[in-house]
Amino acid sequence: MSTIVTPPDLDEQPARPGRLPPGLEVKAEKAASRRGLFIGLPAYVYLILFFALPLAIVVVYSFATRSVTGLTVLGDWNLRSYGRLTDPLVLRIAWRSTWIATFTTVVSLVVAYPFAYYLATRPPKVRAILLVLVMIPFWSNFLARTFAWRLLLSSDGPFVRLMEFVGYTDLRLLFTPTAVVLGLVYGYLPFMILPLYASIERLDHSLVEAARDLYASGWEAFRKVTWPLTLPGVIAGSILVFIPSFGAYVTPEILGGTGTTMLGNYIGRQFVGTASDWPFGSALSVAILFVMTIAAMAYFRSGGKNL
Amino acid sequence: MTELGTTTARSAPSAATAADASAVSLHGVTKRFPGGKGTQPVVAVDDIDLDIVDGEFFSLLGPSGCGKTTTLRMVAGFEYPSAGSIRIFGEEVGLKPPNRRPVNTVFQSYALFPHMTVEQNIAFGLEMKDVSRKEIAQRVGEVIELVQLQGREKSKPRHLSGGQQQRVALARALVNRPKVLLLDEPLGALDLKLRQAMQVELKQMQEHVGITFVYVTHDQEEALTMSDRIAVMDGGQLLQVGTPEEIYDHPRTRFVADFIGETNLLEAVVVDGTTATLTDGTRVRVDNGQTSGTTVTLAIRPEKLGLRHIDSERNAALDAVTGRVERVTFLGNAIAYEVRVGQAQAFDLEVRQGNAPGIEHFAVGDEVRVRWVPSSASVLED
Amino acid sequence: MSLVDTTGAGPSLAEDSVARPRRTVDRILAGNAWLVFAFLYLPILVLIALSFNDNTRVGVWTEFSFRWYGEMFGHTRIMSALRTSILVALMSTAVSTVLGTAAALSMERFRYRGQRAFDGLLYLPVIIPDITMAVMLLLFFVQAFDIVLLVTGVGLSRGVGTITLAHIAFNISFVALVVRARLAGLDSRLEEAAADLYASRWQAFRRVTLPLIAPGVAGGALLALTLSLDDVVIAEFVSGAGTTTLPVYVFGAVRRGVSPLINAVSVLMLVGSILLVVGALAISRRRVET
Ligand SMILES: Nc1ncnc2c1ncn2[C@@H]1O[C@H](COP(=O)(O)OP(=O)(O)OP(=O)(O)O)[C@@H](O)[C@H]1O
Ligand SMILES: [Mg+2]
Repeated sequence: MSTIVTPPDLDEQPARPGRLPPGLEVKAEKAASRRGLFIGLPAYVYLILFFALPLAIVVVYSFATRSVTGLTVLGDWNLRSYGRLTDPLVLRIAWRSTWIATFTTVVSLVVAYPFAYYLATRPPKVRAILLVLVMIPFWSNFLARTFAWRLLLSSDGPFVRLMEFVGYTDLRLLFTPTAVVLGLVYGYLPFMILPLYASIERLDHSLVEAARDLYASGWEAFRKVTWPLTLPGVIAGSILVFIPSFGAYVTPEILGGTGTTMLGNYIGRQFVGTASDWPFGSALSVAILFVMTIAAMAYFRSGGKNL
Repeated sequence: MTELGTTTARSAPSAATAADASAVSLHGVTKRFPGGKGTQPVVAVDDIDLDIVDGEFFSLLGPSGCGKTTTLRMVAGFEYPSAGSIRIFGEEVGLKPPNRRPVNTVFQSYALFPHMTVEQNIAFGLEMKDVSRKEIAQRVGEVIELVQLQGREKSKPRHLSGGQQQRVALARALVNRPKVLLLDEPLGALDLKLRQAMQVELKQMQEHVGITFVYVTHDQEEALTMSDRIAVMDGGQLLQVGTPEEIYDHPRTRFVADFIGETNLLEAVVVDGTTATLTDGTRVRVDNGQTSGTTVTLAIRPEKLGLRHIDSERNAALDAVTGRVERVTFLGNAIAYEVRVGQAQAFDLEVRQGNAPGIEHFAVGDEVRVRWVPSSASVLED
Repeated sequence: MSLVDTTGAGPSLAEDSVARPRRTVDRILAGNAWLVFAFLYLPILVLIALSFNDNTRVGVWTEFSFRWYGEMFGHTRIMSALRTSILVALMSTAVSTVLGTAAALSMERFRYRGQRAFDGLLYLPVIIPDITMAVMLLLFFVQAFDIVLLVTGVGLSRGVGTITLAHIAFNISFVALVVRARLAGLDSRLEEAAADLYASRWQAFRRVTLPLIAPGVAGGALLALTLSLDDVVIAEFVSGAGTTTLPVYVFGAVRRGVSPLINAVSVLMLVGSILLVVGALAISRRRVET
C-alpha cells in the first residue's frame, strides 16, 4: 500500500483501517496552493522590489525636507509638502488638469459612441476590417502621433494655412488648451471606442426590437433600452480616457504652452534642474496616485475588467 | 482485431486481497467543499460505501447536484476526498494524482484538445506513457476502427459532429486500456435519436472490451437500459444499489420510487405481520415482518395494476380496490386511467394498460376494480 | 486590449432588422465614422508627407527628397538611441513575458493566501500614471545607488540597465493582464483531461495549456514590445546622461523646437510600430486559417 495513506496523527479521530484520515485532503490542497504561489513568486518578488519598494520610497520622501541647495534631507520628517498641496498655484493646476481631462472624456464619448454604434451594426466581415483600422493607430507610436499634431497645428502648418485661406487670420492653435485636448482625444480615443463597441456589440438587439414592438420610437428605444444597457461600456471608456488624460505628461509638454501646465508636468518639474523639490514632488505623486486608484476602483466596479 | 483491454482489465493487482476483488471500492467517502464566506461547508458526497465489480456496467443515477460528478472526480483523482478510502483493484489511490491512476475519463463536454487532430488526441495518453511509436500507431488505428472514425483521423475536433466528438472522447480513453472507464453524462449533449443509438453502441462496446464502466447520468431510462447495476444518489448519499430490476420493481425509499419511473404511493396501516389496511378500508397483503399499528407507504407501478369491471369475479390470489374512472389518456402504446378510490379519504390510482387487442377499454365514470399481484407492491422504508 | 480578440464576430444582423438604424440616421453615423477615420489617419499621413520635404522649415514645401532620412541614418546619437531602444525593448519583453505568463497562471489556476494582495500589486502598474512611476523609479535608483556606493564603493550610473529594469516592472503587469484574459476563457477540464491521460504537470502545461494560451502570450509580448518602444516618461527619468532611448531623444528635441530631422525619426518610429502590429496580425490570421 502506498505510503501517503499512513496517517501521521491518529490522536484526534481514530481512522478506520484503510481509511484516509481527515485532513490529508487539506494537506494536498495546501501543496497545490504552495505550488501556485511559487509559480507567481518571481513576478511578485520583482514587483515588490521594483514597484512596491519605489512606491514606499516616494512616500518616505514626501515627508522629507528640501535643503536650501535643492538637495533632499532625509530627516526632520514633516508634513510641509502635503500642506503645500493647497497652494493656489497647485489648486489652479489641479483644477486645469481636471477640466482638461473631463473635456477630453466628453469629446471622446460624443465622437466615439456613434462611431462604435456604427461599427457594431456592420456585417461581421466589414466590422472586423474596421476594427483593425481602429486598432492600428492605437498600437502605433504615441509620441510620433502627438508630434504629428505639433506639425499640423503649427503657425505655418497646413491647418492654420487652410484657415487663413478661408479668411481666419491670426489663428493660434498650438500651445493652447484646445491643442492639448485635441492631442489627448487623438491619443486616447481608441480607449473609448473599444469598451463602447464591446458593450454595444454584446447588446441583444431583440431587446431593441421588443421596445419598438411596444410602441417606442427609435429615439425612445435608444434612450430607454440601448443607452442604459450600454452604460457599463460608457463608464469603462470614460474612466479609461480620464485616467491617462488626468495624469498626462507628454501631450501638454509637446502641444501645450506655459498656460497649460498639467499636474504631470508640474510633478516632473519638481525633479529636474535647480528649482527641484523632491519632497514636494513626492507628495504630489502620492496625491495623484490616490486619485487614480479611486478612479480605477470605480472602473473595476463598473465591471470593465474584460476590455 | 485484438481483444482490447481484456488482458489488463482482468489481471489481478499484486496488492489485492480476497476482499478487494472489486474494481472500485469506496469506503466512508465524504467530500466537503468550503462554502462561501461565513457559511457551512457544502457536503457534496456524504459517507458513501460502494463496491463496483470488475467488468460490470455500473451507473450512478441521481438528480442534478446530488454529487454524482464529485464522486466520479474523486475516483479519477481530480478531487481529493475529505474522508474515507478509495481503492482501485485493491490499491489505495485516495491522494494519488490523476496521471498515476489506472482509470480514464470521458468528460461530459468531452474536453477534446482543440489544437490536436483526432489522431493526436487519441494518441496523447499513449505518448505520455512512452509507448513506442509503432505500437501507438497500431493501437490508435484499432481504436479508430472500433469507434468507426476511419477517414476522420486528421480532422480537428471542432470540425466533427457531436456524435463524432463523443466517439473521439471514448476512443481517447479506451485506447489506454484502463482498468476502469469513468463516464460523466457522455451522451448529455446529443439529441434524442443519436443518444439512443449511442446507448446501444456504448453498451456493446463495453461488453466487447470487458472494461468496468462507471457511468454517471441523471436519465433514469438510460441507466435502466444500459446498466448491470445502478446506484441511486440524492443529497450526497447513496439510497439504493441494485440491478435495474431490483431498483425498478422494489424501490426501497420514496425518493427512489418517485425518481425512477412513475409510481403510485399508498398509505397503509399495518394490521399484523402480513396484512395492512389502506385508507379506504381495503385489506391488502404486505411483506412479512412489519410492526402492527405502524403506518407504511406502499409503492406500486401503474403498469402492474389491472382493471376489471366492478362486477367481474374476484381472484383471491390478487389484492384489489374498487373505484371510479376519472380520466382516460390515450398514449398510443398504452392507455392511462386515473381511478378515484374510496369516499372520505379518497386517493387516486394511476393505471396503465397496454393497447393490445383483447384488453378491455374503459370510459370516464365506469366503476372498476383495480387489482394487482401482492408481491408487486413494495413497502417503502420511509 | 488583446489584439487577437478584435475580430470576434457576434450574431450578424439581418438587412431589414429594426436594430439597424434608419436610413438618415445611418447616413449620419456613416458620415461620423468617416470623419473619425480621417481624424485618426490624416495626421499620420501629413507627418509622413512632410518628412519627405526638402526644406529646413517644416511648413514650407519645396520638393520631394530623402534628405532627412539620409541625415537620420548618419546621425550617431540617433542611431545609438535607436539601438538602445531596440535592446531595451527586446530584453524587457523577453523577461516580462516569462514572468507575466507565470503570474497569470498562478492567478487563474490556483488559490492561495495573499492572492488578492498580489492581484492588486499586479494591477497597480497598469493604472498608475507614467509620471508617478517615473518619479518612483528615479528615487528608487538614486537611493539604491547611494547605498551601493556607501557599502561597496562601486559607483553605479543610470542607463540601459535601469531603463530595462523599469520597463520590465510595468510590462509584467500588461502581459499578465492579456494572458489572464486568455486563460480565463480556457476550459480547465482540458488540463484535467491531460492529467487523466497520464500527463505530468509539466507535460500537461507544455502539450495542452501552453499551445492554447500561445495567442495570448504572443499578444502580451507584442503589447510589451509596443509599450517599451512607446515609453518616453519613465525612460526619461531613469536614463543617465549618456544613454537615452529614441523616444526620449525625440522628446527632448521637440521641446527645443521642431526640425525636419525629427519628422523623419518620428516616421521611423511610427512606421516601425505599425509594421510590428500589422505583421503580428497577419501571422495570427495565417495561424487561424491553417
Ligand atoms: N468545486 C466545488 N466547490 C463548491 N461546491 C461544489 C464544487 N463542486 C461541486 N459542488 C457542489 O457539490 C454538489 C454536488 O455537485 P456535483 O457536481 O457532484 O453534482 P452532480 O450530481 O454531478 O449534478 P449534475 O447532474 O448537475 O452534474 C452541488 O451542490 C455543487 O454545488
Ligand atoms: Mg455532474
